[in-house]
Amino acid sequence: MDRETTISQSLESARILLAPCTQQLLTPEPGRMDISLATADLLPAVAALHLNGWGRLVAVTGLDLGVNEGDLEVLYHFCAGAAIVTLRVRVPKADAAIPTICSLIPAASFYERELGEMFGITVVGTPNPDRLFLPDDWPAGVYPLRKDFVVPEIPG
Amino acid sequence: MQKNDQADKFIIPIGPQHPALKEPGHFEFTVDGEIVTGATIRLGYVHRGIEKATESRTWVQNLYLLERVCGICSHIHATAYCLGVERLAGLSVPPRAQAIRELVVELERIHSHMLWLGVAAHEAGFDTLFMYSWRDRETVMDILEGLTGNRVHYSANILGGVKIDVDAEQTKTILQGVDFLEKRTHHYLDVVTTDSAFVQRTAGIAVMSKAVAEHFGAVGPTARASGVTQDIRIDAPYLAYEDFPVEIVLDTAGDLKARFVVRVQELFQSYQVIRAILDKLPAGELAVTMPRRIKENETISRVEAPRGELFYYLKSNGTDKPERIKIRTPSICNFGTVPALAAGHQLADMPMILAGIDPCFSCNDRMVTIHRPADDSQTWTWEMLRQYGISYYREKER
Repeated sequence: MDRETTISQSLESARILLAPCTQQLLTPEPGRMDISLATADLLPAVAALHLNGWGRLVAVTGLDLGVNEGDLEVLYHFCAGAAIVTLRVRVPKADAAIPTICSLIPAASFYERELGEMFGITVVGTPNPDRLFLPDDWPAGVYPLRKDFVVPEIPG
Repeated sequence: MQKNDQADKFIIPIGPQHPALKEPGHFEFTVDGEIVTGATIRLGYVHRGIEKATESRTWVQNLYLLERVCGICSHIHATAYCLGVERLAGLSVPPRAQAIRELVVELERIHSHMLWLGVAAHEAGFDTLFMYSWRDRETVMDILEGLTGNRVHYSANILGGVKIDVDAEQTKTILQGVDFLEKRTHHYLDVVTTDSAFVQRTAGIAVMSKAVAEHFGAVGPTARASGVTQDIRIDAPYLAYEDFPVEIVLDTAGDLKARFVVRVQELFQSYQVIRAILDKLPAGELAVTMPRRIKENETISRVEAPRGELFYYLKSNGTDKPERIKIRTPSICNFGTVPALAAGHQLADMPMILAGIDPCFSCNDRMVTIHRPADDSQTWTWEMLRQYGISYYREKER
């Protein structure tokens, strides 16, 4: 079986597994599938992939949609071979909270800590909400990867 | 990874500056006597805000910034970024450029694995192996310098291709170097599998089963030493890996020894693929022109860095600067395995267990000979230092 067939079969099986949770499905480029979900469907969607052995969680990306936008996005990237599935969850900045997926995938702990400190997203139930990268004396409520955070100019 | 908050346990904090690692990281080991029962990790001591910094720099400027994420696997970061940006811009990079990129990637892997071999041997107290492997590593460092002009941040890539070419003279030098290294690597494989004192520090230590490796998301040689069949070069070939493939190196033992064997054997794969590339280097252009602005889009770029899968997420917004770049390095995946590996082992095994995952160390130190006037007191040659040392002690004896 050639690689392209394997990739399309992988993506098709992911599509079927995720169908109950899918709000919108996009195929932005060959080998990739992008699925938007409601926050409440995140855990069932991750479980559908993980418990059926579909690939592995490769990274979690936080996105600020813009200074004038009210929302943040969290992208969970899963890969099986060359096939990539991204689960996309949108949360309002005013109430940025998502459930933890560590009960299923403990390796997500680092990614969830990063979301918390860099984007101010509360990951409900994450086993360790401590800072991972930012210094201990970093001011509370300042989230550097949000678009409204402007890097201060260094004088001179 | 639970928080360490049991008040009745004895917690030994190690780091951020500590004897085991040359780069800062803070570990808290919960111990029961000599035996470690748990561990937590605090990173970020060298956090430089690079992801944020990319958002205020142009696509071209970011190439140079991102090459500096790591001082060991610099080229692979630049390559992952270039592949992503080129996909966003819809560029088709000439085959010769992709092959040269792959050549540098594999030379870099050799330098990285040999660096690791030395560091890991040093953690085991086997400094002879450390010094020999680092001496031999100079061969590949010289090749990289000869090829690109730089030892660490090679800067071989540009968006749209490469800025270096390989001529017949360089091919000869590279092949000679690779032959020498291959001979040495056979010796190292022999040492790490048969030296009884060394094997006592590695065999059966920090055993990670395939299931545990998958559970904690280990990547790269750390995962492959536990029998996880995962290598992005094979799973999702990029650059010229379709034409110049590598074979996966696996071990099922899952202990520290297996991590040594896998990394050393991966060197043979790199030698093989370098010879193949130099033998059949495609002719043609080295680069295509890259547009300044990229329309709104997003992509994912995955490559196999020396430490495992490196992941880039790139989002463009129509300007000459990216909207967002997310980098997930292999070390963060492998760090997650340390608490699980540490439990049940002696505290004295911790440096080796940490080194076993090959956490990303910086290295760019070297001896430089600069030709300056003899009266320049700021530059000392080795001979001047030696003479100074001799006369200093003579003075002292009087």
